[in-house]
Amino acid sequence: MEARIVKKGQLSELLDKLAQEYDLVAPVQEETLTFFRKVSGAKDVFLEYTNSDVSPKGCFLPQNEKTFNYTYTGDSLEIVKPGDEKKTVLFGARPCDARAITTLDPVFEGEKFGDEYYSSKRENTVIIGLSCSKVLSTCFCYAFDGGPCDGTGSDLLFTEIGDKYYVEVNTEKGKVLADKYSQIFSSQGADQLAKGKEEIAKKLAGEFVRKVDLTGVKELLDDNFELPFWNGDDYKKCIGCGTCTYVCPTCHCFDIFDHTIGDFNGARFRCWDSCMYPEYTLMAGGHNPRPTRKERVRNRFMHKLKYHLDRYNMVGCVGCGRCIRKCPVNIDITKIINDLKEVAQNA
Amino acid sequence: MMGVIQQLREQAKKLLEEKKVDLVIGFGQGTELARTTPVFIDSPEGVSALTWGPFCANNLAKYLIDYKNAPGNVAVVVKGCDSRSVIRLLDDNQISRDKVVIIGVPCAGQLEWQKVAAEVKPGAGLKETADNGESFSVKTDAGDYSFNKKDYMLHRCLVCENPNPVISDITVGKELPVKNYEERFAEVSELEQMSTEEKSAYWDKQFSRCLRCYACRNVCSVCTCQVCVFDQMLPMWVSKRTNLSENTVFHITRAFHVAGRCVDCGECDRVCPMDIPLRKLNQLSPLGEFKPEDPEEFM
Repeated sequence: MEARIVKKGQLSELLDKLAQEYDLVAPVQEETLTFFRKVSGAKDVFLEYTNSDVSPKGCFLPQNEKTFNYTYTGDSLEIVKPGDEKKTVLFGARPCDARAITTLDPVFEGEKFGDEYYSSKRENTVIIGLSCSKVLSTCFCYAFDGGPCDGTGSDLLFTEIGDKYYVEVNTEKGKVLADKYSQIFSSQGADQLAKGKEEIAKKLAGEFVRKVDLTGVKELLDDNFELPFWNGDDYKKCIGCGTCTYVCPTCHCFDIFDHTIGDFNGARFRCWDSCMYPEYTLMAGGHNPRPTRKERVRNRFMHKLKYHLDRYNMVGCVGCGRCIRKCPVNIDITKIINDLKEVAQNA
Repeated sequence: MMGVIQQLREQAKKLLEEKKVDLVIGFGQGTELARTTPVFIDSPEGVSALTWGPFCANNLAKYLIDYKNAPGNVAVVVKGCDSRSVIRLLDDNQISRDKVVIIGVPCAGQLEWQKVAAEVKPGAGLKETADNGESFSVKTDAGDYSFNKKDYMLHRCLVCENPNPVISDITVGKELPVKNYEERFAEVSELEQMSTEEKSAYWDKQFSRCLRCYACRNVCSVCTCQVCVFDQMLPMWVSKRTNLSENTVFHITRAFHVAGRCVDCGECDRVCPMDIPLRKLNQLSPLGEFKPEDPEEFM
């Protein structure tokens, strides 16, 4: 694998150049929070973050997306789709979030159901990952084969080593970008930093405090849709908000509806939706197959730990820990995994 | 706090053993040192899960609605602020007084778990907490810490005038001295000094961040409508689109709906994943006394 070096002093120059040529999306600080936003240059970028409060999945699946405008002229229906996606660079995605995008790919780019809106953004975006420098108490990416310096999903992965970034070139797309700015992405001496990166990865890997063991969990869920476990406290304490699903980097449910202006004009939108909401599964006739929080809470964890695996052979969680941090009542997926493991062992 | 925890467990055990209640809703240790999580205990053996301390920020009163049609009685552990919620639920006919046993615990304030977690060694286990007046001491298996209230406590607790529950059947722990705070509405007063344009810009900035996760509504003990207007599909009063216009409709409508009924428990503020200062919005006194002839600048 190829590697390059970017001097820390040259990062601003790189970001400014990227912002000129691309839509640059990068972490920014707003009051107490960190978001991924389109920025005009290095001056807006905030790099002292552990992870953003909302994941950067919105680059590919925005919370609000207009899919087309329509006009009914009396005898025909005119549909106008938005223009081509702009060339975009997503800078500073943490390894968990970059990996999360690879769990969305098979959903939106499957053979059966390709999603042009997602695909065009995906094709036109270069993902520059940024290795973590700190492990939070809520982090557990290691449980899904991820890691604080893991390059899965990143076209380029930056790892901070002293006054330099060690840059791993993981894809052709990443190589094209690095070659384009070859004055900044230097090849000289890059290989010598590989060991330094490994050391950092090893050090950070030792900082995880959450023990997460998935042994037997999938098999248990395969055989048991109904488990007494789901009658426990977790659903009772759930307040049914959508926080966990909206901050999650792998949740991808959406709703589609039309916004009509007058009688003949309008636009079709798709917006994030949450399986935690009662109306998510509400049928036209009034029946709701997930009538209470119990079924909804179960669904969320079944999706993460079973359904996504069944469909795409990937766990639907990357261990970013956002849902743990943000849940108002401390519903904790790592506890649920460990509890399920215990149920499996005692079965 | 060990004494309080012990008494709490004894009282809960007694209630369950004597079949005075079928369920006790209280605080249990969470998955982070500085967090508790609601626990639902239905057997005397389960009471060891109960805990108490400066990490019990959640308002458990709203869970009473989930059990209003359950056959047995329910006990709930409340702080001063939460007890106001119980009164609200009673006044709104959401629960009946004879089905609820209120276990009140005088509360010296609640710490923000994220701030504490940032200081404590990750993965440390909690041993004991104690109130030292100006600060809380937190003993862990990775060392002892002290957190002064001024910097680490939830904002709402800094101006709390009800450290003791205002309604309870059983009180556990010593009653605390009550203080009045002239600065209780200081943040609102600051806001009121702003011009209409400044206020508008301020709230626009806050509302534009809203994800519309509805955590503020769902946690609120005043929000008890069977079908919320924002969940209605036909007609869809507010679109699922998150933009300033839709978000503002949501927040202002909710603020008006809770005006005059809000008990200032501050839970909306605590649970907001986007740190929107919702307590400040709901404290805006004019909302509680809205008159049609009011000048429009009051917002």
